[in-house]
Amino acid sequence: MWKFIAKRLGSALAVLFAASLLLYVLVINSGDPLKDLRESNADNREYLMAQRVEYMNLDAPWYGRYWDWLTGASKCLIGQCDLGQNINGVEVSGLLANAASSTLRLVVLATVIAAVLGIAIGVLTAIRQYSGLDYIVTFMTFLFFSLPVFWAAVLLKEYLAISYNDWLADPQISLGSSIAIGIVVGLVLQMFLGGSLKRRGITFIAAAVFVPLVLQYSIWLNFYRYPQMGPAIIIVLTALVALSATAMSVGLKEKRVLYPALITVVLVLAMYYATFYMLLEPNAWILLFGLVLAVAIPAVVGRFMGGRLRKAAMSVSVATGVVGAGLTVVDHMFRAWPGFLDVKGRPIATIGSSTANLEGGFWDHFLDNGTQLLMPTILLAVISLASYSRYTRSSMLEVQRQDYIRTARSKGLSERTVIFRHAFRNAMIPIATIAAFDFAGLIGGAVITERVFGWKGMGEMFATGLDHVDPAPVMAFFLVTGTAAIIFNLLADIVYALLDPRIRV
Amino acid sequence: MSTPNKNLNENEPQNLNSVAEVEDAKLAQIHEKPKSQGRIVLERFVSHKPAMISAVILVVITVFAFSSIGWGPIPGWWGQNFYHAGAVVDGGKPTLSLVPAWLGGEGIRIGEHPFGQDSVGKDYFALVMNGTQKSIIIGVVVGLVATVLGTVIGAVAGYFRGWVDEILMRITDLFIVIPLLVLAAVLGKMAGASTGSIIILALVLGLVTWTGLARLVRGEILSLREREYVAAAQAMGSKTSRVIFKHLIPNTMGVIIVNATFAIAGAILLESSLSYLGFGVKAPESSLGLLISQYQNAFTTRPYLFWWPGMIIVTIALSVNFLGDGLRDAFDPRQIGKKRRRRAGLFALPTRKEKP
Amino acid sequence: MSHAAPMNEQGSDGYALSFTDLNVVFATGGADVHAVKGLSLTVRPGQVVALVGESGSGKSVTSTAAMGLLPENANVSGAAKVGNVNVVGLDEGKLRKMRATDIAMVFQEPMTALNPVLTIERQLTEALELHDIAYGKEATDRAIELLDMVGIPDPAKRVKQYPHQFSGGQRQRIVIAMAISCDPKVIIADEPTTALDVTVQAEILDLLRELKDRLNTGILLITHNMGVVADMADEVAVMFQGNLVETGTVEQVLLRPEHPYTQRLLAAVPRLSAPAVTTATPPHSSETAPPGRELVLEAKDLVLEYDMRGKIFRAVEEVSFDIAKGEVLGIVGESGSGKSTIAKAVLGLLPVASGSLSVQGHDLPKLSPKEARAVRKRIGVIFQDPAASLNPRFPIGDCITEPMVVHKVGSKAGRIKRAEELLDAVKLPRNVINRYPHELSGGQRQRVCIARALTLNPELLIADEPTSALDVSVQAVVLEMLQDLQRDFNFACLFVSHDLAVVDMLADAVVVMQSGRAVEQGMVDTVLHAPTHDYTKRLLAAAPVPDPHEQAVRRAAWRLLNSTK
Repeated sequence: MWKFIAKRLGSALAVLFAASLLLYVLVINSGDPLKDLRESNADNREYLMAQRVEYMNLDAPWYGRYWDWLTGASKCLIGQCDLGQNINGVEVSGLLANAASSTLRLVVLATVIAAVLGIAIGVLTAIRQYSGLDYIVTFMTFLFFSLPVFWAAVLLKEYLAISYNDWLADPQISLGSSIAIGIVVGLVLQMFLGGSLKRRGITFIAAAVFVPLVLQYSIWLNFYRYPQMGPAIIIVLTALVALSATAMSVGLKEKRVLYPALITVVLVLAMYYATFYMLLEPNAWILLFGLVLAVAIPAVVGRFMGGRLRKAAMSVSVATGVVGAGLTVVDHMFRAWPGFLDVKGRPIATIGSSTANLEGGFWDHFLDNGTQLLMPTILLAVISLASYSRYTRSSMLEVQRQDYIRTARSKGLSERTVIFRHAFRNAMIPIATIAAFDFAGLIGGAVITERVFGWKGMGEMFATGLDHVDPAPVMAFFLVTGTAAIIFNLLADIVYALLDPRIRV
Repeated sequence: MSTPNKNLNENEPQNLNSVAEVEDAKLAQIHEKPKSQGRIVLERFVSHKPAMISAVILVVITVFAFSSIGWGPIPGWWGQNFYHAGAVVDGGKPTLSLVPAWLGGEGIRIGEHPFGQDSVGKDYFALVMNGTQKSIIIGVVVGLVATVLGTVIGAVAGYFRGWVDEILMRITDLFIVIPLLVLAAVLGKMAGASTGSIIILALVLGLVTWTGLARLVRGEILSLREREYVAAAQAMGSKTSRVIFKHLIPNTMGVIIVNATFAIAGAILLESSLSYLGFGVKAPESSLGLLISQYQNAFTTRPYLFWWPGMIIVTIALSVNFLGDGLRDAFDPRQIGKKRRRRAGLFALPTRKEKP
Repeated sequence: MSHAAPMNEQGSDGYALSFTDLNVVFATGGADVHAVKGLSLTVRPGQVVALVGESGSGKSVTSTAAMGLLPENANVSGAAKVGNVNVVGLDEGKLRKMRATDIAMVFQEPMTALNPVLTIERQLTEALELHDIAYGKEATDRAIELLDMVGIPDPAKRVKQYPHQFSGGQRQRIVIAMAISCDPKVIIADEPTTALDVTVQAEILDLLRELKDRLNTGILLITHNMGVVADMADEVAVMFQGNLVETGTVEQVLLRPEHPYTQRLLAAVPRLSAPAVTTATPPHSSETAPPGRELVLEAKDLVLEYDMRGKIFRAVEEVSFDIAKGEVLGIVGESGSGKSTIAKAVLGLLPVASGSLSVQGHDLPKLSPKEARAVRKRIGVIFQDPAASLNPRFPIGDCITEPMVVHKVGSKAGRIKRAEELLDAVKLPRNVINRYPHELSGGQRQRVCIARALTLNPELLIADEPTSALDVSVQAVVLEMLQDLQRDFNFACLFVSHDLAVVDMLADAVVVMQSGRAVEQGMVDTVLHAPTHDYTKRLLAAAPVPDPHEQAVRRAAWRLLNSTK
């Protein structure tokens, strides 16, 4: 396995080197870096030109400049990056840190969301091939394939962000629109949940009645400006997760799974009170540690109480624990929301990656980063989601034709076991390779997204750099995104090897 | 326990006692005309409704774009052109109205400037039609270049393997570390800096978009070259070129045609993205992407300047994608229509019963 | 051990499986397909009933109906009872509980029947856990026990492995272990040995027989191989075009068939002629031929290698043989023996690593490309898979005349005329000249391949398993045709096959290959009727014959051979 990774890493570095050379040569030949000065009428034109020639080392031959860049960049391996100066003589390494973190945050988040949702939708549409859901999802994916990113971004800004912000100033939902929303939710829900005509009808009616009531109640509570949850609702929701996860995995009569799940629910309640004051003003490490505990403790409980069903017990308990912990965090965010609205009246941002000079505590900054990320992430995720769902669907359909699926059915396994234990893993094998290409596509998409949403990220660095025929920022962009792509690709390779025992070395 | 021969279908040959005889009798009974693969694909394609609708839409848009304002020296039927500025009438608002008067609209009319006018009074309909022409040209040229390059390189790599294959795979790796958009932006800027012609831009984009198809063709050829008819052709002494062009490439036609259509849609979108970033088509040339990026800030005040080019890009790309999907279904016998597919596997996943 | 099935033991009438007036109709895009027409059949516990038929006979559809695994567009009527529960129209949930515990299945393709990403342990234990038979450690122990039972060595270690780490025969054993894991009343074995080599087939059949006796399970054996029927079955049912045409005991059906279809089917099965009867020696055998044989193909110390990403794999090791004009040389062996590799090398699809391989005196490796092309003109070829051996985009006429186009022989009209002559020779109607391969059946396509091979009147015909993908009766037609054409055109023929009986019928001389080496070679009469090498003996003993009495004798001989080994 290690040999395999080392080999992949070696060839990846070779590709990275070749790509950097290609990109460098192309960029410096894409125009004249002195063009604007040649056309300028400034008095100190000659001086400015000499200064720029010096900044960019234009007197050296191209291979000399490339060599300088390469030696500087390779110092990154020992933690002393020197990525040269940009056209104005500013050190690129200094610019990089902020830009890289906001871009990578955007791309990684969008990739994870797109992969998880896309694969889930793909599996669902493959199971329900030729259903109404399948047709609608197919049409939507084709639509997303066909959208120019920036065009969609303008629409998203206008109709989602700006209207939401306007609405939030005075949240009202009329009775008519809540009924309409209820009907739409009902239609969508019955399509996703499926089942017999009767079951679909019940789903629809339940949603169509329940949703308008909830909406009206939430307006009455002024929930959108003063959201609240409290321990009671957290416990009820967590318990529901515990029960439904148990029912779906082994059935409620299996005490060996049900009890650890219920114990986890009690633990969640205990933790809620224990950590209450700490979570009012936490930091990232506390949250991370909390997540680790939320996984580890239920896992241990499930492991010791599960007996022969320990695997199912562990996964059900962990799911319960994570949901409980997540709800606890959401509860704290709810508490911080009114305060956040006071400092930032129009929460969903359309410009920039964070609000400058924002006053407030951890949660305010957290919410600020979150709301700034919302629009670009939705945009990138939706476009990438389309391809994941398409590939997953066709891969699942392909796998379902295989002989071993028939063998699994002939053992009497339920349809769910056949699909998740036997078909799903095999269907994921080709997806792992596609994910690597998709990641590169997302970075390309990020260049546009950052321009639309006015982020000062890597994409902006690239676009401005290229515009000025300025290789240093372009190469810095390449160094970060290329390395990220290689790491992602390597992860995909490892996942591939984990999924498929045939290629393990 | 033996059962009498009952329930025999009328069209089945009777009183034969060998499979070989039954088959020969069936062959003798076929009276339909022989059907080539191409014909079967065409028939399946024609029965694919979304694809046919898309094809009609595409033809309409293309004919409209080229006939309305004319092309090159050929004049069109639309009275105005896209380069004459004029007086801005009624704030440049579009005169097109599709809501009849009895529904409270302004009545069905086209008017002088159906899509409105831009800031200097140019007719926006003519501008959009001009952009549509350019986008279609770019899409088709990129599609052609990418398809030809991808097919030849993919076929050579798949057939000879060895170093050609190595190089292809490394170039493909390159696209994992340099996103396509980035490379296209750099090349697009180079092309723009030198000439500014959209044909050059299209050729350059073709040079970076062939790798996907090349990989697919390579995979297809790798599996086809193990087929026995290819071995038979080689064994009878066929030249390599004959094997590739008569036996291999015609049988990868499905993959090639389907992906050529996707490449066209991709190229139109890629061009619009590049133009938006400023590395694609530049004024005085025009394209739909350029129009959108020029007027994106006018969205709140004059939304029609933003909507028309965008809608046309989406319509073209969507139609081309559906066309490609229909072609894929037509070429892939496993995916055609409900009934055929369900018969395909005895153990196919049970789907819900359809209503009669 | 608690059975979840809704009844206790065998049905009141004592059948493990019974079909009564079963009809299966598939609703398709065109006309409905009536796949099974009023079938009635019973299987008792501990009994093997063979359901025999060629492709399209409906035998697999019948078995799938019993498992309740038919697709939605199948309309099933009549009854298929497992024990005394009718599975036709049974609720899906109840049906699932019966699978594995009451009725289990062994599939044809062991290479694809197991999930490649799950361990054998997982795949065996999931059925045990699902049907409440054993859990956790206990289930693993039971899985190991099952593997031991089906003859997988070192089961405790191997149970943790993945399917790709097992050979085809071992995988079929695992599939059988899976089938018996929940003690079913009846096992449906759908062509369980068709994908396997003949010696592995004999072992798997032994295993099935032993398990059946030990567990008192009924077996519905679906097969097209009459030898397997004679070896295994107590009763036989013959299906043709969806109809059950004949049933009876194995002696009745195989030795005294009544229905004309069964009679013709049995007549079509190639058999190894009894050693005493040597009158069938072809007139052109080299013994009667003049001593100055006109050699067409000659291999001396031939070595062939595959280059698998830098790793050299030797497929053929120092094999020598020759074929003279008018002779047929058979090469027999099991998969991986290198027999097809030799055919590939003669066809120029694989370079010769060392030794010599000459066609009419021209040493192939030493020829220039141009000379090689001239030699190719004299060689015709027929491959195994009729579905893949014709370019789907060429009309039949173009397929047949392609060699003439490649070697620039004849005018356009001349080519059409030649194609028509050849279609006559392979007894296909002339109007198929404009049809496409997909409009023809497998046997018909194989006849087109023969026509194509003969287009340029070759001196040498290479036939690589030309009939192994065909039904028995179709195979008989094709073989007869080959024999006639060989007599008429007097070409030399290299005939590669795994089927000893076919080689016996067609060839004059034979080379027996095992793992790349020729272990025995000589005239057919000596090698196949008085073998000296152990491997040849094993091959001969393993191939079942369609006569239950003779097969019983051969089975005893096979066991003896194995015990002395």
